[in-house]
Amino acid sequence: MLVYDTAVERNPSVLKVCRQYLHWTQRSVFQGELSAAQYRALMHDLSTAIDPHHDSVVAYTTRSPDMVERATLGVALGGPGDII
Amino acid sequence: MPAAGRTYWLTEPCRIRREDNSVRIERHDGTPVHLPITDIRDLVAFDHIDINTSALSLLNRHGVTLHVLDHYGNHAGHFAPAESMASASVIRRQVEISSNPAQRLDIGRSLLLTTAENLRWSLDTDLLDPALDALRAALPDCDTSDALMGQEGNFRRTAWAVLDTQLPPWLRLNGRTRRPPTNAGNAFISYLNSLVYARVLTALRSTPLHPAIGFLHSDTDRRRNTFALDLAEPFKPLFAERLLKRAAAQKHLKETDFETDVGRAALSKNGRKKIAALVKDELATTVYHRSLKRQVSYEKLIHLEALKIVRLCLEGTPYKPFRPWW
Repeated sequence: MLVYDTAVERNPSVLKVCRQYLHWTQRSVFQGELSAAQYRALMHDLSTAIDPHHDSVVAYTTRSPDMVERATLGVALGGPGDII
Repeated sequence: MPAAGRTYWLTEPCRIRREDNSVRIERHDGTPVHLPITDIRDLVAFDHIDINTSALSLLNRHGVTLHVLDHYGNHAGHFAPAESMASASVIRRQVEISSNPAQRLDIGRSLLLTTAENLRWSLDTDLLDPALDALRAALPDCDTSDALMGQEGNFRRTAWAVLDTQLPPWLRLNGRTRRPPTNAGNAFISYLNSLVYARVLTALRSTPLHPAIGFLHSDTDRRRNTFALDLAEPFKPLFAERLLKRAAAQKHLKETDFETDVGRAALSKNGRKKIAALVKDELATTVYHRSLKRQVSYEKLIHLEALKIVRLCLEGTPYKPFRPWW
């Protein structure tokens, strides 16, 4: 799971990088499963896209998707799964 | 070739576009869906799609295969990324093995026999035992692949007749028909067979093997990847016949899931979704692999099968086709 908080002018570029790797869930929140290499690639791409003095990106990882419990209230945003 | 990634099933008419170096799926209704390109292993399109060059080149860059199924579930074609796993030595050996009649027939026979045994396993009945014995007796005498396929046809006919006894009347095959399938049961089998074929092709893309240089099916049919057809054989009972049996027993399939016309049948929109969900769950099922000593999914079993052929080519390890051990 990844959240970001960046300056308005850099939002689109960060969004573009995230979209290549993760599923969009909420305005600045993404989630998805990545391999170790993909995760490193994502973090590298993000580090070039942001301004390290102003922006912040936080990524949460778990060992296995089974170890996450997720609850939602209100409108469920985000992907419809893999049957489209 | 992406190591991880999921298969995405496009069950509705949609448009595939490139956006932000990733994929956007647009449907007639609803908001566009963004798929992360690194998460896509392959795409299976059950319905009309609309795609352009920039999207295709993106798919190519990330090694994503796009399979297209036609209205009746036949494999209409696929878009495959440019060869990235090519290895001359493997392909050379594959051609050598396939052009050596003795070796080729040997592999063909074992594939056929295993398929028959898998079918017997998936139908789980004694009724097939006489047919299986007849097949075992007849196989050593077959000295062309046409003769082999003839024996296969005989066995299959018996097997389908036996399968009919386990199905509700409206889902019975009453003889296998294709292009187009004439009834609901045949339509289901057509869809599943194409899907298995598509899975095998995707698996072959991750090996240097050439999907057209086969052992069992005759290669006079120039437009088909005969090797992928060969490798799909032992897996068809595991998916097609078994899922049909199960879906019928659990009353998961309804008559409304099919669009039946006089002399032709296809899945309805809802039916397509159901089948996609069914196959997706089935592919994710895991079993304990005794020599790898870990759980592997059915999807992975197909990949392991392709690797067996690579080992046959490179190391001369005898090829033993897949049979369920659980």
